Amino acid sequence: MRISKRQIQKLNTRRKIIETSYRVFAEKGFSVPSSLIAKEAGVAHGSVFVHFPTMNDLLVSVLSDFGQKMGASLHELSKSESVEAFLREHLRVLEKYETFYSRLISEKNILPKEAKSTYAAIQSAAAYHFSNVVEQEINKGTVKKAPVHMLFNTWLGLVHYYLMNRDFFSGPDESVIERYGPELLTTYLKLIKNEGV
Amino acid sequence: MKTCIACGMPMREISDFAGSDPSKDYCVHCSRPDGEMQSFKEKRESMTKFIVKTQGFDENAARKVAEDMMRKLPAWKSYFA
Repeated sequence: MRISKRQIQKLNTRRKIIETSYRVFAEKGFSVPSSLIAKEAGVAHGSVFVHFPTMNDLLVSVLSDFGQKMGASLHELSKSESVEAFLREHLRVLEKYETFYSRLISEKNILPKEAKSTYAAIQSAAAYHFSNVVEQEINKGTVKKAPVHMLFNTWLGLVHYYLMNRDFFSGPDESVIERYGPELLTTYLKLIKNEGV
Repeated sequence: MKTCIACGMPMREISDFAGSDPSKDYCVHCSRPDGEMQSFKEKRESMTKFIVKTQGFDENAARKVAEDMMRKLPAWKSYFA
């Protein structure tokens, strides 16, 4: 099916609003007015409503977009056999969206219901892929036998602690993941791996 | 690329499809041993158990997450109408 020029334009505007929202949400939080998104995206205020009738629709669309990107990256790796490669990819995606993701985990409890459930779906997908790789390593004996949820929550807890306290761990424009990611990964692997395997 | 109508998983390889049959709309994890797609209740319970296992959530909270995920999937639309 041929897509008309007008449809392409419409898709581009939608994309522009979503991309701008990532930045505005990251900088100002998830409670910003739609007028600010429109201003920053350089589109008419009415244009935002055409694509996203409510701010909740926009918020859920941005979170779903993020979830798809993260899911796609992790899905690729969930069939590989190394927890290390998987976690490195997890960190890479988080670093790319670091300010947005940090804001997300900080404001998660005050998000509207649907956005909160989208957040849960994003983490569930990550947990699903993580469980695939970690179970393979447990079966091979390279990772200690521990409940999968504790292995996942320990990793996420560690990474989230650094992200939620970015102001303590790094300078204002510095990436926490870039600075501490390698240390977090090495330490975590040391904790969960069987020695000498 | 197809995604599973019952759980949303991307199906890239033949082995991702139910019974390794790419004409199917649901994935290997959403099919019963006889090849049919799992029922709403079966899927909700298996997703709930999986969330408890992989994230350690309280069972009722996990069931709520599972239902919210299913709400967005084509296979279960009629259950949330």
